[in-house]
Amino acid sequence: MSGLSQRHLIAIKDLEKSDIQLIFDTAKNFKEVLQRPIKKVPSLRDITIANLFFEDSTRTRISFELAEKRLSADTINFSASGSSVKKGETLLDTVNNILAMKVDMVVMRHSSSGAPQFLSKHIPAQIINAGDGTHEHPTQGLLDGYSVLEQFGSLKGLNYLIIGDIKHSRVAGSDIPLMLKMGAKVKVCGPPTLIPKYIEELGVSYEPNLKKALEWCDVANVLRIQLERMDTKFIPSLREYSLYYGVNRALLDSINKNITIMHPGPINRGVELDSDVADSKQSLILQQVENGVAIRMAVLYLLAGRV
Amino acid sequence: MLLIRSALVVLSGSTYNGKTVDIFIENGKVKRIGAKLKNTDNAPELTFPNLHIAPGFVDMHAYIGEPGFEQKETIASACKSAAKGGITQFCVMPNLNPVSGTKSQIEFLKHRAKGQVATLLPVGALTHNLEGKDLAEVYDIHQAGAVAFSDGYKALPNAGILERALLYTSAFDGLVMVHAEEKSMSKNGVMHEGIVSTKLGLPGIPAVAEEIAIARDLSVVEYTNGRLHFLDVSLKKTVELIKQAKKKKLNVSASCNAYNLILSHDAVVDYNSATKVNPPLREQKDIEGLIKGIEEGVIDTITSQHSPQDEECKKLEFDKADFGIIGFETLFPICNTVLNKAVGLEKIIDVLAVNPRKLLKLPAPSFEVGSTADFVLFNPSEKWTFTEKDIASKSKNTPFVGKTFTGKIYQTINE
Repeated sequence: MSGLSQRHLIAIKDLEKSDIQLIFDTAKNFKEVLQRPIKKVPSLRDITIANLFFEDSTRTRISFELAEKRLSADTINFSASGSSVKKGETLLDTVNNILAMKVDMVVMRHSSSGAPQFLSKHIPAQIINAGDGTHEHPTQGLLDGYSVLEQFGSLKGLNYLIIGDIKHSRVAGSDIPLMLKMGAKVKVCGPPTLIPKYIEELGVSYEPNLKKALEWCDVANVLRIQLERMDTKFIPSLREYSLYYGVNRALLDSINKNITIMHPGPINRGVELDSDVADSKQSLILQQVENGVAIRMAVLYLLAGRV
Repeated sequence: MLLIRSALVVLSGSTYNGKTVDIFIENGKVKRIGAKLKNTDNAPELTFPNLHIAPGFVDMHAYIGEPGFEQKETIASACKSAAKGGITQFCVMPNLNPVSGTKSQIEFLKHRAKGQVATLLPVGALTHNLEGKDLAEVYDIHQAGAVAFSDGYKALPNAGILERALLYTSAFDGLVMVHAEEKSMSKNGVMHEGIVSTKLGLPGIPAVAEEIAIARDLSVVEYTNGRLHFLDVSLKKTVELIKQAKKKKLNVSASCNAYNLILSHDAVVDYNSATKVNPPLREQKDIEGLIKGIEEGVIDTITSQHSPQDEECKKLEFDKADFGIIGFETLFPICNTVLNKAVGLEKIIDVLAVNPRKLLKLPAPSFEVGSTADFVLFNPSEKWTFTEKDIASKSKNTPFVGKTFTGKIYQTINE
């Protein structure tokens, strides 16, 4: 079988365009499997996967777990709260202890950028990054790309807008290289305090005005405003953010274009996105969640081919 | 007693500069020097291929672990490591536990370093407990033998404390050394802010944090007329600021770290915590700016910023790892590899051996009969690969293992 160029999935940056295409093609097959009455396939039988969530997560963890179960893998779950991490054990020790119990693959989320790469240098298991600090969240990038692909048939030449806290967003960290690799144009929008200073060197443009940015785009990915990840206040208040960068019905009606709205979840309803937009036909949000399982099945399946 | 055979002297201004001589050393002094000396005393002879001799290097910026962090470095291991790097004297920053902020701590350091292969020069704390608030008893620690005053890697939080420090120490012409960084701009940063930090999703230390602090401190020097040394200069732009200040005859000097001359932020790309340093690895244009600064005499000396960290502090996620790399053993190899073509060997020796002695008011180096035998023996053209075996430090935190350098230290003479 022709596999991926990488042994781990740590960052979209590391993937070739052909890798992304292969993951999309595989996900399409799995999505079809997920429509069947019997949704389980034996592809990963006898493979043990550890889901190591050093940072809280609900949807990503459930999505991975479901993908693993659909593929018949054995899974173990670990979350940092109530674990030995709190007792001062290092990341490397924690993971090595789990691997001593013969685990083949590790799905990990961690608050430190680069933690999966650090582990990959010190442990033998294959690693799938489920979000590291403010670096990348590659399966989110892939499922975003796949959802847009389903809607538009191609990513090439598409105008893709990301709105919000780009500086602290690992979703943007994966969406940007994925969209650029697949030939889309990327713009970011948000208050300048939440935009990385060197963003344009990535090949991305910046538009401070939300309305102008929306007029430009075909798809707008609205990011969650995460005050909990900011130790400094980068914006005066959520109220002011919502007034100037919140996406609402009136704003969308004022532009002459029917754009597609995405959100990686969970939504702060009424802050970055209003309910009448999130729940409308323009929104791809639930498709993103559905595609998340297929994408994660595809990634696990393709990487396991090399266990 | 020792007879060094056929050594090429490198020391600008010396009558022996550029000459190949034999040197007879007895009781820690040069007894005879000249061509083809007769070994009348049956002294042990030393000779090496392509042997060069220069005054021992003086490193103005190093951290050790004793007292307080002996698992990282002891005084004995630091001295061995320094000697291996051709360094005969090195400044020890006060960031110890307890802090080198009292007379007794300075005396402890000096006492413990007696008889070691390198000379330890204690730097006293500038502020009480390195808190950046009130001055430490700097005159008392000056009397006890502190060669300078600094809070080490801790940046001074405001201009007021620097003003008081410069004024107070000017009474005895003390040297204040600072790591200049505006913390409100850099606070959680773990690497240089730029395209690499953006791609890696790591919080950046912006260049402007160093620029602001150096510009501010230069204004304070102009106002107080104290004697200030900038440690850790890492940017083309701050070299420029210091150059202007020197033109105005301000009483300032500057040093940069060897690692900032050879590695740029591109080296961080795989989250290797051995590249986590402060000042961070900057950009290629900054490397060029520093080299030009050395050439033009804006940067007076190059330091190792030797910062031993045990594995527990380094084998971690990048943001959780501590800053710093060891640097004694690689100081000269880096300088010679990077600078030999650009500035020449004589200038390298000026920067590593002559200028720091001037700044610290140590006796000027000399090869004349009667002068102290404080020398380094080396081969500037030997190509070699740095391995873990070459490390005498207790800590192994360096990104240079496996790196090939030109220029190797044979040994130091420091009796």
